[in-house]
Amino acid sequence: MNTETYNYRIVRQFAIMTIVWGIVGMLVGVLLAAQLAWPALNFDIPWLTFGRLRPLHTNAVIFGFGGSALFATSYYVVQRTCHVRLFAEKLASATFWGWQLVIVSAALTLPFGITTTKEYAELEWPIDILITLVWVAYAVVFFGTLVKRRIKHIYVANWFYGGFILTVALLHVFNSAALPVSFLKSYSAYAGVQDAMVQWWYGHNAVGFFLTAGFLGIMYYFIPKQANRPVYSYRLSVVHFWALIFTYIWAGPHHLHYTALPDWAQSLGMVFSLVLLAPSWGGMINGIMTLSGAWEKLRTDPILKFLIVSVSFYGMSTFEGPMMAIKTVNALSHYTDWTIGHVHSGALGWVGLISIGATYYLIPRLFGREMYSTKLIETHFWIATIGIVLYITAMWISGVMQGLMWRAVNTDGTLTYSFVESVQAMHPYYVIRWLGGLLYLGGMLIMAYNVARTVVAGRPVEAPIPAVAH
Amino acid sequence: MLLHHIPGLLSQPQQEWVAIRDEQTTVQGLYTGYILIVAAIPPICALLGTTLFGWRIGAGEPVKLTLDSAFQMGIAFYVAILAATFSIGLLINWMSQTYGGEKPLHICLALAAYTATPLFLVGVMQLYPTLWLNFVVGLPALAYTVYLLYTGVPVMMDIPAERGFLFATSILAVGLVTLVGLLAITAALWGIGVGPRFTS
Repeated sequence: MNTETYNYRIVRQFAIMTIVWGIVGMLVGVLLAAQLAWPALNFDIPWLTFGRLRPLHTNAVIFGFGGSALFATSYYVVQRTCHVRLFAEKLASATFWGWQLVIVSAALTLPFGITTTKEYAELEWPIDILITLVWVAYAVVFFGTLVKRRIKHIYVANWFYGGFILTVALLHVFNSAALPVSFLKSYSAYAGVQDAMVQWWYGHNAVGFFLTAGFLGIMYYFIPKQANRPVYSYRLSVVHFWALIFTYIWAGPHHLHYTALPDWAQSLGMVFSLVLLAPSWGGMINGIMTLSGAWEKLRTDPILKFLIVSVSFYGMSTFEGPMMAIKTVNALSHYTDWTIGHVHSGALGWVGLISIGATYYLIPRLFGREMYSTKLIETHFWIATIGIVLYITAMWISGVMQGLMWRAVNTDGTLTYSFVESVQAMHPYYVIRWLGGLLYLGGMLIMAYNVARTVVAGRPVEAPIPAVAH
Repeated sequence: MLLHHIPGLLSQPQQEWVAIRDEQTTVQGLYTGYILIVAAIPPICALLGTTLFGWRIGAGEPVKLTLDSAFQMGIAFYVAILAATFSIGLLINWMSQTYGGEKPLHICLALAAYTATPLFLVGVMQLYPTLWLNFVVGLPALAYTVYLLYTGVPVMMDIPAERGFLFATSILAVGLVTLVGLLAITAALWGIGVGPRFTS
């Protein structure tokens, strides 16, 4: 009789913080959307202005919400698929408190304008060092657990998590290299266009590895589990992994089309972005085909709906991305709301929905009780989906319109529209986008209520590790 | 003429889908009796709207197109709608192998065409091309289209509702991808100088 158990404590902590940071980050997002529609909402208070709050929104949703979901699921998956308890549990606990400290430090510095100005890497050098320490600890815990595994085969989800952990470490360290001049001010180690290139090598791979590879790890574990079927093609999932990581790392220059970056580097970025469509869609097909065999469960299981719509959005946004990386399309779309719409179809649709689905899967197993209300999960699903559709359709229309207005010229060569006219034309779409965001946030609040009722009625589970079969 | 399905699709879609499924028709019959007619609503209204009233995008004077340019755009728009309807019909036909209930092409095409009915009808709004108004009116039409899709798939494909949910979601994803593709093609064409000409 084996009485050893899995470490669910750390998974519980991160799972709860996923919801907490999700609500905080999305609340800031909704406020920002409202400010764009009604600018007076910053009340002329410096730390409430768009420029200060925008990085707080991105940091809270990407690293707070997304990061917590990745920690929670990776710690759960690596234990369950390796049939061992987590390696170095004190260190694992330190990653939890350290990561919370990182997000709190972000919330304490960004509104005061303490920022490196690097997008998605705004945090100043002392916080960057803290991130590095937490990340190294995370790698030690994760790979340590893999090393002491009792199952010989390393399941594909762990490959995605491992790839994500290693690459993010590399990206963070290189992009954050800086010369500190005081405790809260530093200058980037790179200058000019090199700085821009390093920044977008980091920036696009933050999307590619933090927001994609890690979440594909979630997809490859939680979709087969919830559907109760094996992955449609395991071979395809391995091809998906290697093709994705080899291609993604080159795609960054598409953020710098028509800038001072050498033209060949821009074209290289564009070509690799187009190639990226193949592995992305390979993964999407694998996810969809795994789910399609479980159709008879859809009647009773709203979690499956979250998963399937999430994979559909993954397919849609990984098609849209390569299209927008084409230079002639980018000439119109860059700096417009089309980009914002694209990011959010990935963030709300793919990353958000799969994290929510995985959290709904985890909570009952961590707290030993069925979810308080299946009906509320269903409600959450529809509210969130409608919110996403409102958000991205509004941004498509306003983005294309913005692009066309900016480039419209009269026959005498003067601009047809002043900039402020384009701003004025955005107003109705900004209102609709705000509404879409509000719905998505509303869904998260329903989730928080549902989870709170479940947690209060349940109690922490100590799940025994199965005895080795051979 | 198959236009008599329109009131039913708008008021009692469930029964209407059954009637549509049980109807004897062909691909040619669908085109001449339905698609060629309703698909003409958006381009004709856009032609009149852009030449007579002009686009209003937020501030400023309405932007009008020259008749020549509006006519060419209208033809391109019409052809694009017809081609898109047909290719979505083909894709439904292809995907039905995966989701069960393999159906002949005319059934799949009927599903694609009748589902798009609200979008065709709301094309009337192009008579008064004010962008935000078109968007606000278009959203409910889009929502109803999605509703028609989810009710239509199980009936037309003869599959259980849950399986239909998956199939319909895949069709929706294909539709979104087609939309994004068209958006990108338009942006690229406009970028290399193939665009409308305005009256100054």
